[in-house]
Amino acid sequence: MAEDVLTSLTLTAALAAATTVALLILAPPLAWWLAHTNRRGASLVEALVALPLVLPPTVLGFYLLLAMAEDAWLGASWRSLTGQPLAFTFSGLVLASIIYSLPFVAQPLTASFRNTPAELLDAASVMGVAPAARFLRFMLPLHWRALVAAGVLGFAHTVGEFGIVLMIGGNIPGETRVLSILLFDQVESLDYASAHLTAAILLVVSLTALTLTYGTLRRQ
Amino acid sequence: MSLTLKGRFAPPGGFELEVDLELPRSGVTSVIGVSGSGKSTLLRLIAGLNRSPGFQVMLNGRDWSALPAHRRPISMTLQQPALFPHLTVAGNLRAVPGGSRFDEAVSRFGLEGLLERKPAALSGGQQQRAALARAYLKPAALWLLDEPLSALDAMARARLAPMLGELCRTLGKPVIYVTHALSEVVQIADHLVILEAGRVIGAGPPGSVAAELDHPLSPMIDTGAILTVEFDTYDEAHDLSTLRIGAQTLRVRGDLGQAPSPLRVQIPARDVALALERPLGTSILNCLEVTLTSLAPTPDGAVFAELDCAGQPLRARITRLSQENLGLIPGMALHALVKSMALDVRRGWAQPPG
Repeated sequence: MAEDVLTSLTLTAALAAATTVALLILAPPLAWWLAHTNRRGASLVEALVALPLVLPPTVLGFYLLLAMAEDAWLGASWRSLTGQPLAFTFSGLVLASIIYSLPFVAQPLTASFRNTPAELLDAASVMGVAPAARFLRFMLPLHWRALVAAGVLGFAHTVGEFGIVLMIGGNIPGETRVLSILLFDQVESLDYASAHLTAAILLVVSLTALTLTYGTLRRQ
Repeated sequence: MSLTLKGRFAPPGGFELEVDLELPRSGVTSVIGVSGSGKSTLLRLIAGLNRSPGFQVMLNGRDWSALPAHRRPISMTLQQPALFPHLTVAGNLRAVPGGSRFDEAVSRFGLEGLLERKPAALSGGQQQRAALARAYLKPAALWLLDEPLSALDAMARARLAPMLGELCRTLGKPVIYVTHALSEVVQIADHLVILEAGRVIGAGPPGSVAAELDHPLSPMIDTGAILTVEFDTYDEAHDLSTLRIGAQTLRVRGDLGQAPSPLRVQIPARDVALALERPLGTSILNCLEVTLTSLAPTPDGAVFAELDCAGQPLRARITRLSQENLGLIPGMALHALVKSMALDVRRGWAQPPG
């Protein structure tokens, strides 16, 4: 019983960590673009990013499941690239989590980037700093709070996802059975003692992580 | 060989700037205008912070129009100090790519002891000095200063003004200094450009700009006249300096004995009154013998009297009633009364007391 919980806990942590790292690389440039572009297509991109907030996870999971099938474009290209399948694997879960948690990382970043004082951008330009360096060397450190908050939200949201995992990951121990799925299993089989342990772990870990983060942001 | 600014810039929103300027390639050029006149926009166009295909910027024959701001060889300070808040002063200075002369910049702008502080822990004047030092570190062919004193309180301004004057004199590079206050630059400007509503309404050496203008300036600017004078004596008991203009004298507050010579004195037209004879029993100390050269109506219904004072132009702003009462005709000999309190020649070269 405790072994099951430990396996799922490790898996959940690995999934959330991989997703958060990927999102902290992908989301900042996207959020910067969304915050500063005047292009016409920007609102469509912004809507696509926000879509997982609105859609039931099962809808997204359903489409991803279709795309990840062995004969579908995503599944097939993944296999030709890595030799592995995508559906019902850890890699598939990471990919789905990146899409599903994207708004939780991109939106706080976009909001923070929009508040960049214009004179700081001007100052960097007249100092002779090129736009890419300006973003990496000055804007990311300047918005470190938003990056921390976005990372924590992305991590916590990945830990808490359920519907999308069920659709594309199934319930494979050590591969796709994360804590939320394990809890569902335990309740289904009326093993309330184990369910209490799993639920308590999720609750305590999430609360601790959030409290530490908000405490850090508050102190600065 | 010079800085050429030519073209039209009309961003959405109705404002329009159109200039055709050839600025000298050395010395200090001051662009003066009220807010909304387009002076900051002109500076941003030179810096490349605003760009427009219809606006050409050329320095010494090289066209900058296609260069983005970070590739232009300029040093610039913005209206706000714009220091990065997450970096210390030292961090802000070290952030300049290819920055050189770190120690020189620190001592020149008095930043010793402030290097490890974050901008939030600095006063406005200290922040502006750090911003100037940051600009100083960048190797540049042209300096752009956008209202460097306007965000500061009077004390900070008094401390920074001489530092700016010294900087402008010793840089050996052309400086374009934008301000709404002529008094800020009257000692240091070699060339004035006056902007109103996106158009250049006067350009030239300080002494002649006011006289050269075809039409009277906006009363909000009140350039008046800029006289070149020599220091004569200082009366310590009354804290008054006597200045010489031809055979006549002007008295102003403070000890100007240490000031560079010749000095420039800006006299706004509204601070000059006219009398037919030298008045008796008045608190006004300065009475200059002048000749009336011409009269011109101001846009708001008053009259500008253009005067000749020992070969230098002077301007008085009077009412139409006064014009009639005095029976003014060009060629008349008059007395121009100037309040000594109105003369502020100290800015730009020395620190006022206290």
